[in-house]
Amino acid sequence: MTTATLDTSADAEIKPDELRAQVSALSRAKDEPDWLLAFRLASLEQALGMEWWTGQEESWRRTPRERLPRRARVTDFRAAAHSANGRLTRVPQHVFAPHAHAGLIHKYHGDIVATDIAEQAESDGVIIQPLSEAAVAHPNLVQRWLGAVGQPLDRYDALGRAIWTQGVFIYAPPGVVVDDSLFYLVTQDTSAGDHWHYTLVVADRESQVSLIDAGDADDRRVQLEEAPLVHASVELMAEDGAHLQFASVQRWHRQTAALSTTRGRVGRDASIRVTTAAFGADLDKQRIDMDMSHNGGFAEMRGLFVGDGNQHIEHVTRQHHKGVGASSDLLIRGVLTDESQAVQYGLIRIEPEGQKTNAHQTMRNLLLDDGAGADPIPMLEIEADDVKCSHAAAVGPVDPDQLFYLQARGIPPTIAERMVVRGFLAEIADGVPDEHMRDVIDELVEIQLEPARSNP
Amino acid sequence: MSPPLFEIDALHVAVEDKQIVNGLTLTLRPGEVHAIMGPNGSGKSTLANSLMGHPRYTINGGDVRLDGESVVELAPDERARLGLFLAFQYPTDIPGVSMINFLRRAMSARRGEEIPVREFRQVLNEVLGRLQMDEQFVRRYVNDGFSGGEKKRAEILQLGLLEPKVAVMDETDSGLDIDALRIVSEGINTFHSDDNAILLITHYQRILRYVQPDHVHVLIDGRIVESGDASLAERLERDGYEPFMARAKEEVLTS
Repeated sequence: MTTATLDTSADAEIKPDELRAQVSALSRAKDEPDWLLAFRLASLEQALGMEWWTGQEESWRRTPRERLPRRARVTDFRAAAHSANGRLTRVPQHVFAPHAHAGLIHKYHGDIVATDIAEQAESDGVIIQPLSEAAVAHPNLVQRWLGAVGQPLDRYDALGRAIWTQGVFIYAPPGVVVDDSLFYLVTQDTSAGDHWHYTLVVADRESQVSLIDAGDADDRRVQLEEAPLVHASVELMAEDGAHLQFASVQRWHRQTAALSTTRGRVGRDASIRVTTAAFGADLDKQRIDMDMSHNGGFAEMRGLFVGDGNQHIEHVTRQHHKGVGASSDLLIRGVLTDESQAVQYGLIRIEPEGQKTNAHQTMRNLLLDDGAGADPIPMLEIEADDVKCSHAAAVGPVDPDQLFYLQARGIPPTIAERMVVRGFLAEIADGVPDEHMRDVIDELVEIQLEPARSNP
Repeated sequence: MSPPLFEIDALHVAVEDKQIVNGLTLTLRPGEVHAIMGPNGSGKSTLANSLMGHPRYTINGGDVRLDGESVVELAPDERARLGLFLAFQYPTDIPGVSMINFLRRAMSARRGEEIPVREFRQVLNEVLGRLQMDEQFVRRYVNDGFSGGEKKRAEILQLGLLEPKVAVMDETDSGLDIDALRIVSEGINTFHSDDNAILLITHYQRILRYVQPDHVHVLIDGRIVESGDASLAERLERDGYEPFMARAKEEVLTS
């Protein structure tokens, strides 16, 4: 399958005053408290003080410039076609709708169409709420952690804090263990253009919580006149002794330019485990940044993807160690068909005080077609002398011995290849903390491989 | 005498332009067990892999027939579905693919139709029991993290499930301790019937104490230089491959 890439002459000049006015209007429309508007506006000023990427920067060098627009457009969902009469008439169930959950929010276009929380979770004080509402209901909590992960990485990241229209706040109080996963389901409004998401997940001291963030599109077949930009800012805070899991599965419309900035701060003896699965979009660039400033922390970053057509799938990661005896592990596995391309730029940085660090990264890319390609770039910057680090990167076809083994048992080559590929990805998908979600990912892998392998 | 079940007819095989098998001829009839014995480098694994159709091995002369039909032009999976089986010397691990999923797919492929879950479970449990294998075993990924003995047992498990007409066993005995060797041998014997045939390819005589061959062949430099009954294996055990190798060299020089 090939998808036409749009002419995205869609970079747009930033007009500061216009943006300031739009952000203020947006915040007021959402009935946000003044401090949140102030946070938005301060972030906007930071963004205005920054430059767009040029492609000269090391972590942007391999990103196709014409396919990721540089613009800050505040989407007015009220004006979008779906709610011309101000009401939604029919909301299809989200394809990722869970079997069991501790709580969920489903955002269809700009509106919340489903929200739920399990009795136990609610009585334990677990929060899953739209960010604007949480800012009113739990101002102390939200204010304490919003943006606390650190200064914005770049202009998109800063804009993400300023102009977001879709926000969610997740909180697990100290000592609370939430058994089932929480779900944040988003349906992309293909008629509305750009989406800016802001997700804040806080696992307070010695708590345990997992969030599954799943994005789908309302109409996968519609041909759009302009490629929409979907940006997601995700902030993951694991306080001391807490365990936070975050899984994101995206299947945006195929013309989408998707950029995500996922940042985690791992507290003392805490852990954050991130699993991302990318299926949709024309370009998907994921940035995952782990702050390992505290002693004994553990971070796991796992990414899987299946590229087809001429998709560009990129991971830019950083494992930043400052604490003593912390561990981090990056594992990316991707399958590329047709003309699809992947880039992985992974940095392990260990500061002088980060002794006894254990940091590893592995990037493996399976190429199923001659036109597909991958460029894994592991980087190490180590300033401590007592650490264990490793990195491995591989790009290649399916192991012919594995195919032969399956074929020798009567399994036809196309099915054999499919089995090996699914197995290759299953090792990542197994890290997703919900059985139904693992099945969904497996199905999406299958679907994504299907049209791509039209020549058996 | 019953018609041949499996015929290797003047087979020539090359690996990356190097000629390894040089005109090997062998006929297996239903119910027979043949052992091919040879030293390192005699072409044992090349023979085994080429019979199954490994893409790295090029058959550049001769023929291989199963039930009278040539299979050399067929893909490995087609050969397998016709009833040819190779027990691998070094079974490949396939992480992420569970044994149970793999076995069910393989059985369905061999039958030409999806095997019902209940029937599959039944057959699987029976064969697992016979091989003294735990049910949890099939929850693991294919050959992933298996010990040497577990890998060989997994091969025999597949042999028992797929019920091929002809089983080529590529050094199935190597690396096994005596207990594992006994279990694996029993697995082969249980599978063996008047309707199928077994080609045991081995370096050592050891397994032949448990699996009785009707015919023993000595493979040197990709040719069978001597054939006989089970006593030939004993002779090999006593004298080693040296006398045969010296003779093979002489034959090449005088031919």
